[in-house]
Amino acid sequence: MFQLDFMQNAFIAGLIISILCPFIGLFLVLRRYSTIGDTLSHSSFAGVAIGLVIGINPILSAFLFTTICAIIIEFLRGYYKKYAELVMSIVLTLSLGIAILLISSGKASTKVNSYLFGSILTVSSEDIKLILIVGLISLFVLIFLYNKLLYITFDEEGAKTTNINVRLINYVFTILVGATISMSIRVMGLLVISSIMIVPVATAMQLKKGFKSTLIYSILFGMIDILLGLSLSYYIDSAPGGTIAITSIITLCMVIIINKFLNK
Amino acid sequence: MINIKNLSFSYSNKPPYILNNINLTIPDGAYLSIVGENGSCKTTLIKLILGILKPNLGSIEINSNKIGYVPQRLDSFNSQFPITVKEVLSCHKKSLKNKDINILEMLKIVNMQEYKNQLLGMLSGGQQQRVLIARALMGNPDIIILDEPSTGVDEVNQKEIYSILKRLNKENKKTIISIEHNINIALENSTHILRIDNGKLKLFTVDEYKKFRNNNLDLDNVI
Repeated sequence: MFQLDFMQNAFIAGLIISILCPFIGLFLVLRRYSTIGDTLSHSSFAGVAIGLVIGINPILSAFLFTTICAIIIEFLRGYYKKYAELVMSIVLTLSLGIAILLISSGKASTKVNSYLFGSILTVSSEDIKLILIVGLISLFVLIFLYNKLLYITFDEEGAKTTNINVRLINYVFTILVGATISMSIRVMGLLVISSIMIVPVATAMQLKKGFKSTLIYSILFGMIDILLGLSLSYYIDSAPGGTIAITSIITLCMVIIINKFLNK
Repeated sequence: MINIKNLSFSYSNKPPYILNNINLTIPDGAYLSIVGENGSCKTTLIKLILGILKPNLGSIEINSNKIGYVPQRLDSFNSQFPITVKEVLSCHKKSLKNKDINILEMLKIVNMQEYKNQLLGMLSGGQQQRVLIARALMGNPDIIILDEPSTGVDEVNQKEIYSILKRLNKENKKTIISIEHNINIALENSTHILRIDNGKLKLFTVDEYKKFRNNNLDLDNVI
């Protein structure tokens, strides 16, 4: 399986995604922002459609459009403080509207399925370069902001008293979420992208450890889910997104069962 | 000393102000309890002092930039939030950029050193508050501000918390500013009471406040 170029590409992309998605996902879950993953994956899809229509790399256009949507979400959040979920619906509507409009025009219909369900075969070396660049920059920024993000996640007002620029960090973080989603959409597919951000975190939280340990376990479970899911999708010839999603749920169920058994 | 001059504030940044033309001086070394009905802007006032909110008009002068803050019970105080006691303090230590702070020493002050590796969400309400008091003491602040420290705390832990606060006030000369919903706790522990009603403020010594209360007056009679 590893002699094949496309599998090597898929595994390199998968490895980066398996580190970044649960890393971002842990902060999303604890800040109760889980739905932003779904919203921005649809924005990513609209970005892909824009790229296919105007003839630029769809991952690049997805990244740019998702970043704009991430900034809109953060900006509008101030207007609907107590009903922040509304902002997600507004941006989701905008993104779906653009995606449907462009795809139904017939100019972007080719390859659309591979972005919906994920694909191993179509990950090109150009995609890998983009995923590597965006992934490494995102990871570097996340590590740099780790302590501030943790403080804001645990106690946003307390963070403000220590002169952490909460508003700026929130903007940067939301852009990171968008960047991670747009580079993951190629392998995972938009329909299940948020699951790999959330399910490994849900699995790690079953272990009831501290923050750093939960983060490490989330990444570990993310790696198991993605690498196992990719291998399975090669052997059973299925779309990787769905296979990875099912693998992640099986891992979660196994951890819950083992945990219950050990805690008896 | 905290000196509030002609302060007005509204969340919409325009009149009508919920705190209107406030003047207040909190002396150094005071143990000030802020009391008043729900919605009387007690939390808004401390957020202004902490710099979380900015005044629309007027100013707040503080002769120290070292302020410790103990918030009201946080949403993250639940058993599923994965953070240990040590991580809570270590996160604050890094944001203060002060490598000399010894986390274990801070926990010893509030008698919580044995719990450093426990998940915060698994502790009782009183123990969680003590951890946040330890966090507020990091960096040796001159002023400690607390938002209802006894909410959700059993009686034994309440006594422990107030004895820590009184010790910090008397022995370590820290200025304590605490929002209290229980006036008897406020009278028992404080040197001063700040009463807020409908955006109006009046600062009393404890003896003055007892007289005010015994005479059943409202703030309009004394301002």
